[in-house]
Amino acid sequence: MSDIVAFRNATKAFRGVAAFRNVDFTLRRGEVHALLGENGAGKSTLTKVLAGLYPLTSGEMLVEGVPRMFASPADALAHGIAMVFQETNLIPSMTVAQNLFLGEEAFFNRLRGVNIRAQQQLQRLSFHVEPTALVSSLGAAKKQMVEIARALQRHARVLIFDEPTAALTPEEKQHFFALIERLKTEGCSIVFISHALEEALAIADRISILRDGECIVTDEAGNFTRGRIIQAMVGRKLKDELYGSPSRRRARPAGRKVLALENVSMGKAVRSATMSVFAGQVTGMFGLVGAGRTEMMKIAAGILKRDFFHGGSVRLNGRSVRFGVPRHAISRGVAYITEDRKLDGLFETAGIAQNIFFGKLFKGANPATVVTLSQARREAAEWVERLNIRTIREDAKVVELSGGNQQKVVIAKSLIQAPELIIFDEPTRGVDVGAIAEIHSMIQQLADAGGAVVVISSYLPEIFAISDRILVAKQGRIVEEMSIEEATEEKIMYAAVH
Amino acid sequence: MARPAIIRKDDRPPFHARLLRSQEGIVFSLAVLAFVLFAILLPGFLSTGNLLVLVRSVSILGILALGMALVVIARGIDVSMIATMVVSVSWAFVITRAGYSFELALLIGAVFAIAAGVIIGVLIAFGDVPPIFATLAAGSVIYGTGRTFFFTLEMQNVPPDTDWFSVIGQGNVLGIPTTVVFFAVLCGLFHLVLSRTRFGWMLYAMGSNPNAARVTGVPFRPMTVAQYAISAFVAYLAGLILASSAAAINARLFNSTMIYDILLVVVLGGIGLNGGHGSVRNVVLGTVFVGILLNGMTILNIDYTVQNLVKGIVLLLAIVVDSIVNPRDEQTSQQGDL
Repeated sequence: MSDIVAFRNATKAFRGVAAFRNVDFTLRRGEVHALLGENGAGKSTLTKVLAGLYPLTSGEMLVEGVPRMFASPADALAHGIAMVFQETNLIPSMTVAQNLFLGEEAFFNRLRGVNIRAQQQLQRLSFHVEPTALVSSLGAAKKQMVEIARALQRHARVLIFDEPTAALTPEEKQHFFALIERLKTEGCSIVFISHALEEALAIADRISILRDGECIVTDEAGNFTRGRIIQAMVGRKLKDELYGSPSRRRARPAGRKVLALENVSMGKAVRSATMSVFAGQVTGMFGLVGAGRTEMMKIAAGILKRDFFHGGSVRLNGRSVRFGVPRHAISRGVAYITEDRKLDGLFETAGIAQNIFFGKLFKGANPATVVTLSQARREAAEWVERLNIRTIREDAKVVELSGGNQQKVVIAKSLIQAPELIIFDEPTRGVDVGAIAEIHSMIQQLADAGGAVVVISSYLPEIFAISDRILVAKQGRIVEEMSIEEATEEKIMYAAVH
Repeated sequence: MARPAIIRKDDRPPFHARLLRSQEGIVFSLAVLAFVLFAILLPGFLSTGNLLVLVRSVSILGILALGMALVVIARGIDVSMIATMVVSVSWAFVITRAGYSFELALLIGAVFAIAAGVIIGVLIAFGDVPPIFATLAAGSVIYGTGRTFFFTLEMQNVPPDTDWFSVIGQGNVLGIPTTVVFFAVLCGLFHLVLSRTRFGWMLYAMGSNPNAARVTGVPFRPMTVAQYAISAFVAYLAGLILASSAAAINARLFNSTMIYDILLVVVLGGIGLNGGHGSVRNVVLGTVFVGILLNGMTILNIDYTVQNLVKGIVLLLAIVVDSIVNPRDEQTSQQGDL
C-alpha cells in the first residue's frame, strides 16, 4: 500500500459545471507530484478537495486506503493533509510564533514559552525566521516558510502547494527546491501545482497533466519533455517553443520619443530612475520582484505620484507632465493594463460588453451623455472579435471567464481608449497557454501600428519573445538597456541580480 | 475550452423556480402574499381610504430610498439623510416666519441641504473617511447645528398664506395623490440616470470595483461629492413633501427609526450593500413590500416596539435568505485558478 492518497473516478461539479470529472489520481508515499494544466483545467479544485475545502460530487477519495470525505480544512489537517495557499493564510498583525501555534494555544500562554517552542521548530527545519517578527514584515518566501512550519507542526504528512514559486525571487526558488528535497527525505508526500514547466521537470518525481477537467496523463517525470507536456496541456501540437528563440528577429527601429522619465523618485520604491520609451516598438522591462518597475510605470500613468521634492520629471511627447489622477493620463493617451485583474482591472458585477465599453465611456467628460446597453454591445463586439474573447454565453459575467479571457477583457478595456502609450504589466500572468500567444501577437500589432508599448515581465522567455528593446530594473533604478539583438539571458540576469 | 455550450431555453428552470432563486423574486412573492393575507384578514385594508394612506406614506419612504440607493450602488451609505431633511425644511419654515419670502426661504433650504451633502462628500472623497462614519457623525452635527442655531421648537408648522404648498402633499392629479406622482416621476428620472447616462454607469463601476473605476478614468472624487449632494437634495425634497402632507415637520424624526426603514427598503429590494448592482425596480419593490407590512401592522394596532422587532427580523431574514440563495459563490471567487 504505497499510495497515501488516491482519487477513484472522482468528479467535482459547481452548479452542474464540472471542474473535473472521472479523475483517477494517486499520490505515493514520499513522492513529489506535480499537477500541470492550463488555467481552468481543474488543478486547484482537485487539491482543494483533498485539503477539505470542497466535498466531491461523486467518486471517492482514499487516504491511506480508507475512503474519506473531509468536512473542513481542519478535518483534513487532522488526517495529516495540509495546503499551503497561494495567498498565504497567516495573520499579518501577529508574530511568527503566534501564527505557528494559532488554534492550538493553551488557555493561558506565556509569550516567552511560545517563542522558544517556535524557535526550536524553525531551527529543526533550518528556517531562518525570527519567531518574534511580525508576519506583515516578512517577504513572500519567509511567509511561505512559516506556513510550511505551521503545517509540519501539526504533523502533516501530505503537503499541497499551489503555485509555490510564483511570488519568489530566483534565489528564494533555489531555497524552496532544497526544502522540498528535505521534506521528501523526512517522509512527506508533496503535491504541487505550477505553471513553470521547467520547475516541474526539475523537482517532481511524477507529473500529472489535467486538461478541461480530465486527467490526461500521469507518468514519471523522467519520461516527459517540455514539448510533450505542452502538447498534453493544450491538446494540440503547438510549435514546441511558444516563445521565440532569443535574438531570432531584428528589432524595429525606434520612432519618436513618447515617454521620458528623468531622475524620477518615489519614496524607497523608485530611486532616480531614468528611461525612455519610443513609438513603434516594444520596450520590455525586466527586473526581479521589488525592482520598482510597476511603480515607475504607475507614475507615468498617474496612478502613483512621484515625490514632490526632488521627484525628477516625466515628459510625455516632450512636454513635462504631472498627473494628479489616472484620468488625466488617460485623456493624454496613456493606458496602464494592470498586473492584478481582480484588484483594479475587472468590474465583476458587470458583463463583458460593459467592462470593455466602460473604458471608452469613462474617457469622456460630460456626465449626462446618454448611453444604452446595445451601444455598449456594439462598441465592445469589435474588440471581442479582435482579441478573440470566447464566452460561454453572450451575457456571461466576467468572473465566469477563464483567466486568459479575463485578461483580454482588461486589455480591450484599455485599448478601446485609443492610447498611444500602452503599458502592459505582466500581461500573461495567470493566463492559459493558448491565450498567451494571442496576447503576444496583439502586443506586436500595437507596436507595428506605431504605438509605444511597454511590457513589464518577470519571465525572461516572454521578454525575449516580444521586446525590441530591453530595460533592466534593479532597486528602483533602470540599470541596463540593450536591444534584442545584443541581449542574452546571462546579460539580463547579471544586470538584474548583481 | 470544452465548457457547456449556450444554454437552451428549455434547459432553464421553470418560472416559479427562477422567481424563488432571486431575492427580487422572493420579495415580490412575499409582498403579494402579505397583500393577499391582509386583504382577506383585515377588514379595512382594502378600503380606498386605507390604500391612499398606504401609497402616500410609502411614497415618501420610497423617495428617500431612491437617494439612498444611488449612494449604495456606488458602494457608499448615507445615514445623514433624515438629519438633512428635518433641518433644512425646518429652517426654511423658520426664516419664512422671520420675514423672508416663502420661495426664497425654500431656495435657502435647498442650498443648505446641498451644501451639507457637498461637505459630507468632500470628507469622504478627500478625507478618506469611511462613508458610514462620515454620515453618522455629520448627521449629528447637522441636527445639532439646526437645533442650536436655527430653531428650538421641535414641531415646525408650514407657514401661513402658502396655500399652493399644501398641494404638493395633499393634492391629486387625475385622482392620484401628488406624493405618488412625485415618487413615480423621480423613479422615472432616476431610472434614466442610472441606466442611460454616463453618470449612472460610473456609479455602477465605482460600486463594482472602486480601484478599477479610478484606473479606468472615472473622476472619482467629484463623483463621490455629487452622490452625497444628490442624496441630500433628495432628502430635502422628501422633507418638503412630508411637511406639506402633514402641514408640519417634526424634527424628532431624526431620533426615529426612519433611516433604518430606508435601509430596509434598499436592502430588502435587493440592492446589495456591496454596491455595483440593483436598480430603481428594486427600490420600488422594497418600498411596496415595506409599505404593505407597515400599514398592515398599523391597522392590526401592533405596538410600535413590536413593529420595530418585526422590521428587524425581516431585515435579518432578507440578508440570510440572500446569502443562501446567492451564496458567496465557491466558484466565482476562485474562477481564475480552478
